[in-house]
Amino acid sequence: MLKLGIKLLSAAVLTVLLSVVLLGRNISQGLGDMSIQNGDWSTSLATGSKDAGAMLKATVALGGLLASSAENSIYYRLRSVGGEPLRLNCSYRIEGNDYEANWWSITAYGWDNYLIPNAEKRYSFNNENLVRNIDGSWVITVAATKQAGNWLPVGPAGAPAWRNMGDYDYDLLLRLYTPGDAYLTTPQSAALPTVIREACQ
Amino acid sequence: MKVLKWLLCIVVVAWAGQYLLALMVPNLMMETIYTFGASENDYNQLVVAPVPDETSRSVVRPSPDLLYASCIYNLKGGPLSIEAPVPARYWSMQFYQMNTDNYASVTNQRGEKNRAGSRVNITLISQQDNPADYEGEVIQSPTERGIVLLRVSAIGDRTEQQAALEASSCSSI
Repeated sequence: MLKLGIKLLSAAVLTVLLSVVLLGRNISQGLGDMSIQNGDWSTSLATGSKDAGAMLKATVALGGLLASSAENSIYYRLRSVGGEPLRLNCSYRIEGNDYEANWWSITAYGWDNYLIPNAEKRYSFNNENLVRNIDGSWVITVAATKQAGNWLPVGPAGAPAWRNMGDYDYDLLLRLYTPGDAYLTTPQSAALPTVIREACQ
Repeated sequence: MKVLKWLLCIVVVAWAGQYLLALMVPNLMMETIYTFGASENDYNQLVVAPVPDETSRSVVRPSPDLLYASCIYNLKGGPLSIEAPVPARYWSMQFYQMNTDNYASVTNQRGEKNRAGSRVNITLISQQDNPADYEGEVIQSPTERGIVLLRVSAIGDRTEQQAALEASSCSSI
């Protein structure tokens, strides 16, 4: 009887641990299968909605708590370029123009989901504070070392590195507020900035 | 063979178990915010947050391009009155229940553009209250507790938006 009790208890403990590992794996993959891919950017129209599934709600609760519904603002996240995770030893070039939305911003977050400490105290660019080309287009350089023009500084996240279970150092989040119809009906093909990996050290 | 059966059972139950755990995560995160918020400020009052920076670590992914104010509410003591002047630039008042669902929203965007320059006055009631008993704009919370979050654009000159948040309130009726 005691043997069976120990077996059942061990099985229960193993089951809970395995459940936690499986959930952690699912959540660390981000939106994964629940996402809509648009180039290297991914989004979900169900974010913040009561129609979101359990796994999406759990993912958003841990990585984007109190997100708005898509009609209010849509979020596109990018954590790799061409399959290569964003790294601090590389620099990235974001090229874009204006988008069909009331306003928009691009923010860099550490792997811990918080703003990245940096001496410049610059965490994002928005449609009003960019230096633009004559034709209205713009380029942002994301790098750990100082760059000319629109430089979005990145660096180590504020949390201790040993807690990083993911494969990327930071990610980029594009927020489009009061997005146009294209983002709500065809988010997989609506116009978005292009991100190109440049030099790596 | 017996061991294999046990292992198979563990894997199958654990696979289903991750979804049960996933159901609990949003509530756990909201409870954390609720408890943390209560230790910093009382319930049923609006708190204007400083402009987000790298030290803002109470809620994940704060936007440095937004100003926030929040009211952690508990309707046990009765309905709440939430008042806010609406600035010209992007502004929204969003209502979240304890499982993170964004169950209601008031904005100055899309069909609600005409709200800019006006003053919003919402009566927030619980499921036990009858909406017909209240005048004006009434929102019924699916849960007794939750969070109201005000967001305003912080891009460009933020004077009007900051003043709008500071002139907003959340209080028991």
